[in-house]
Amino acid sequence: MVHVVTAGGSQARLRRHAPFVVSIVAGLALWEVVGRHTNPAFMVSFSETMARLWALAASGQLGAQFLESAKLFGTGFALALAVGMPAGLLLARVPSLRVGVEPYIMVIYATPLVALIPFILSLMGFGFGPKVLVVFLFAVFPVLYNTIEGARSIKTELIEVARSYRSSEWALWREVMVPYTLPFTMTGVRQAIGRGLVGMVAAEFFLSSTGLGQLIMTASQNFDTGAVFAIILIIGLLGVGLMRVGLMIENHFARWRV
Amino acid sequence: MTASLANRLTGPSTVLSRTLTGFAILATWEAVVRAFAPPYVAKPSTVALAIPRVIVDPAFIEATRVTLTAEGLAIALVFGTIIGLIMGRSVIAERSLRHYVNGFYAVPMIVVLPLLSLWFGYSGAARLATIVFAAIFSIIINVADGARSVPRDYLEVANSFRSGRLRTMIDIVLPSSMPYFLAGLRLAAGRALIAAVVAEFFTAIGGLGYYILYHSRTFRHDEAFVGVLLLAGFGVGFELLVAWSTRRFLPWYRRDEATE
Repeated sequence: MVHVVTAGGSQARLRRHAPFVVSIVAGLALWEVVGRHTNPAFMVSFSETMARLWALAASGQLGAQFLESAKLFGTGFALALAVGMPAGLLLARVPSLRVGVEPYIMVIYATPLVALIPFILSLMGFGFGPKVLVVFLFAVFPVLYNTIEGARSIKTELIEVARSYRSSEWALWREVMVPYTLPFTMTGVRQAIGRGLVGMVAAEFFLSSTGLGQLIMTASQNFDTGAVFAIILIIGLLGVGLMRVGLMIENHFARWRV
Repeated sequence: MTASLANRLTGPSTVLSRTLTGFAILATWEAVVRAFAPPYVAKPSTVALAIPRVIVDPAFIEATRVTLTAEGLAIALVFGTIIGLIMGRSVIAERSLRHYVNGFYAVPMIVVLPLLSLWFGYSGAARLATIVFAAIFSIIINVADGARSVPRDYLEVANSFRSGRLRTMIDIVLPSSMPYFLAGLRLAAGRALIAAVVAEFFTAIGGLGYYILYHSRTFRHDEAFVGVLLLAGFGVGFELLVAWSTRRFLPWYRRDEATE
């Protein structure tokens, strides 16, 4: 991850970005060559994937399904934040409650929650609600877990000092609790983005099929390998992009992490 | 996270409040299901009754064996470590592979299922491939981080004793990146478990995931939930194992938090 920082403008930039460009171009070329020499039912070349992607986009299918997926991810993720952050802070403030609850949160955090999908299907059936629940479940525990982790790191002295200066409850939250736990929460948010995306695709695969998940399922059932590659590429880029955003958020808040 | 997990689970002063919370959770679950849900829905009392029945069921034992055979994880470990070591010690390898490794790591792993089942058929091979895909990148990333952070003094000493490249790799770089390796392993194991379950849902090949799917579809949620409990136990058990081995074998190392 270490960039070599050298003095000088464009030449240094060129040297820094050249390996990236070269490796991406080489990768695409390799993909193209392998794709052209393999059975098209198994593997298609980069150019064909792009052509298929263009066709999907031009027909409006890609855009519509993308929005569908985005709605699912957005709703589940927003709910996870809306529940995870306050609940984490509350547990942070009330140690007696936290002590009782945290082992269970850790156990659930370490459990592969995908295993609950068949239960959700048979209890809640098809529809938007159960799918949102899946995204929510995938995303909420990293937020909760990391917020609690942050709360554990608050030194008791800080709260004692605030207390002895007769700080109000509100001021205590504003000045001590939130600033101390927020960087940890943001680590949780970054993890939640990754897990939420897995949840989104899992929900679209195994509950009622919609969005990009449906697009990829239909394509693979029709042995439309080009479309399978195209949508994997789209979801992959989405993952990379959102991960970047998550890292940026995390680093932004990490600046005041102690 | 994990180094202190064991301590947290066994602090004497907190056992009582944890037990009480546990009972409260189970009681709420039991009451809610009894009041609102149809009788086939899993609740603590009936799940508990199902446990002795399920764990002697040959189908369940076979499913457990199939899912928890860690061959996929082993493959990911061996190749991930090799690639990671090379990336950590060679600038060219690092620069040409870094974007791919980071990129694939960020891809929601289950999205490759349709492609892998197209390539490998609806078979155990598809599950194996999914597990390797899910697990290998976190190992590569962590091992590469570890190999990069080997103290320069060690390498200089090795150099002045005219140690060969391979020898330095095996005797110095590998042991020195052990803590990173364990952090990667912890992540990889969790992802591998998810991958195994998801692959079984998708391809309907036998295993714990399929056991859960089949029993919940036929409205035997209690039996299915025993499978979930086993998966949870496995997930937690692995975390504890990694935490324990870090403390036991790398006691000088105090980095509780792994990168995810």
